[in-house]
Amino acid sequence: MSDVATLREPSGRVSPRAPVVWVVGALVQGLLLGAALFVASTVAGLFAMPAWAWAAYAVVAIGHAVVMPVYRYRVHRWESTDTAVYTQRGWLTRERRIAPMSRVQTVDLEQGIVSRLLRLATVTVTTASAAGPLRIDGLDTETAERLVEELTRRTEAEPGDAT
Amino acid sequence: MSQTPSPTVPPADSDQDTELARDAGWRRLDARMLLVHPVTELVRFLPLIVGVFLLGSSNQGDPWHYLGVLVPIALGLWRFAITSFRITRGQIELRRGLLSRNVLTAPLDRVRTVELTASPIHRLLGLAKVEIGTGSASRSGDSRLVLDSLGVEHARRLRAELLNRVSVASGAPPPEQHRPDAEQVIMRLDPSWVRYAPLTTSGIVIALATLGAGSQLVDNLVQRAARSSHLDERVRALPLAVAIPAGVVTFVVVVSVLAIGGYVLTNWGFTLSRDATGRSFHVRRGLLTTRETSIDVDRLRGLEVHEPLGLRLGGGGRLNAVATGLNRRAADRTTLVPAAPRAVVLGVGEHVLGEAGPLTTPLVSHGPAARRRRVLRGVVPLALVPLGLGLLAALGPLPIWVALATLPLPVAGLGLGLDRYARLGHALTPAYVVVRWGSLRGRRDALQRSGIIGWNLRQSWFQRRAGLVSLTATTAAGQQSYEILDVPEGIAVALADAAVPGLVGQFLSPAG
Repeated sequence: MSDVATLREPSGRVSPRAPVVWVVGALVQGLLLGAALFVASTVAGLFAMPAWAWAAYAVVAIGHAVVMPVYRYRVHRWESTDTAVYTQRGWLTRERRIAPMSRVQTVDLEQGIVSRLLRLATVTVTTASAAGPLRIDGLDTETAERLVEELTRRTEAEPGDAT
Repeated sequence: MSQTPSPTVPPADSDQDTELARDAGWRRLDARMLLVHPVTELVRFLPLIVGVFLLGSSNQGDPWHYLGVLVPIALGLWRFAITSFRITRGQIELRRGLLSRNVLTAPLDRVRTVELTASPIHRLLGLAKVEIGTGSASRSGDSRLVLDSLGVEHARRLRAELLNRVSVASGAPPPEQHRPDAEQVIMRLDPSWVRYAPLTTSGIVIALATLGAGSQLVDNLVQRAARSSHLDERVRALPLAVAIPAGVVTFVVVVSVLAIGGYVLTNWGFTLSRDATGRSFHVRRGLLTTRETSIDVDRLRGLEVHEPLGLRLGGGGRLNAVATGLNRRAADRTTLVPAAPRAVVLGVGEHVLGEAGPLTTPLVSHGPAARRRRVLRGVVPLALVPLGLGLLAALGPLPIWVALATLPLPVAGLGLGLDRYARLGHALTPAYVVVRWGSLRGRRDALQRSGIIGWNLRQSWFQRRAGLVSLTATTAAGQQSYEILDVPEGIAVALADAAVPGLVGQFLSPAG
């Protein structure tokens, strides 16, 4: 019980290809928002968008698409031990989540279109609590499948209904 | 939860006389429910029926009149015909449908709560609706098992056996003969507690909602009454210094009356008891519609003491159970003590937990950084109001006194922030994690350490700079998560490590 004890970061990084998905996501988001702005200003004429406003928007959107994935890649980490799963995610607001293996209820693996092209997957671990499933984005497909298999095997061995 | 009917017929059991054994075959609902459904459907269709007959009088011989009456009755008959249930060894099955079969199955050892509800019509006919909460109900609300309706006695026997079966299944010694009259009453509502009703936030919300819903009608009536008695002219003649306090007093009186009405309606006859075997708590309440909720002791994970500002200043509080298997949205099902004197709340809490520690133990406060955050978050948003109005006044369109009149807002924000900090704190007892937070909606939560099924540590950019972290314990019970706001990082990690042994320790690094 000393104040110097700190929680270290989880040991595993996500795939180096993961930021590509985040860049694509941020660019798509930026384009959609830009299209909405275009419709609202030019087509519907709700307000005026001068050239400098468009330039500022482009700088912010592209800056977000560049900075966020780099920063996020540094933050996103995961670790799975015999007794617990530990994840860290976010970029401005960071969240670390720890769940004991004995309380894990389901393990999901999902792939979006972009993720599948890049051979990436997201693993979601849920417990009996409706609050806070543990999500690991941007795992290498093989790593993800190995993790799911490992978690399933470990949680099957645990008795009880995990509440 | 399987959707297929179990083909196995249970072998004959030695305890032939128990409700469970007799229920081995498919059973129907109580035949008296045939009367309930037509009547409730009639009440629901009443506007339609009235409409049909009013319209019908102008173009006669229309067969639609009768359809409007017959359809609800047919619906009731239909529901009776298609619903049946049975308890086979180890599970309860609810079957709906004549041709297509839809069977909802739940293992008995997953039964966490049993609730009996009786509307005035049900009570008249001696019936009760049985709702059985299982673990899955906390995540998908529609899989609740509902039996609408059984005879009251049958329903109570079913409940007793369902709950006792649970305790047998979980390895406890078999309970002695269950007698409902052998219940130990822990608390009974004292009618004088209605004085706390206007102080609760929910009471005020209910009152405002009622006022809002009825405002047009009330407006109309008041205007008409005022005009007919020339009251409006007399009111307008009043000086402002009299009219404003009079309006406030009227408002307070109306809100109080409505809040008291709501309190009496839901909490009349509120009785909290522990059943003869000590395996579950029963809550019985309601003036018109009565509701009996049972919470299995094994499913209890802690308590919440609600102390909203008004109630706290009035020396009162409310007590809620933190239990698994209860829907998060149905928070009112977990009330153990409605708005009542603080001593009653603490007494009942001590009785339920078996110790007073978690409710009275002194708390660790979170330090100057946490205080700075509480105060800033209280003052800054409210300081924007006079600043914005001041700007408008400086630009011209607004008189300056409007901006000055909002100056008390940031002061109130300061008070709120300081109060929030003063109440903020946590503690670790041998069996519980305790956290107290909030001012207007203040609460003190005690969560069993063994009920914690994970930790979330959340830090915004500002919190990282201040060295604080919001530590959240996740659980399958109650609100599903209990947050300890703005704890200094080192204390948060040490607390998470100490509260649930063998979990966080492996991820610690000794060097700061």
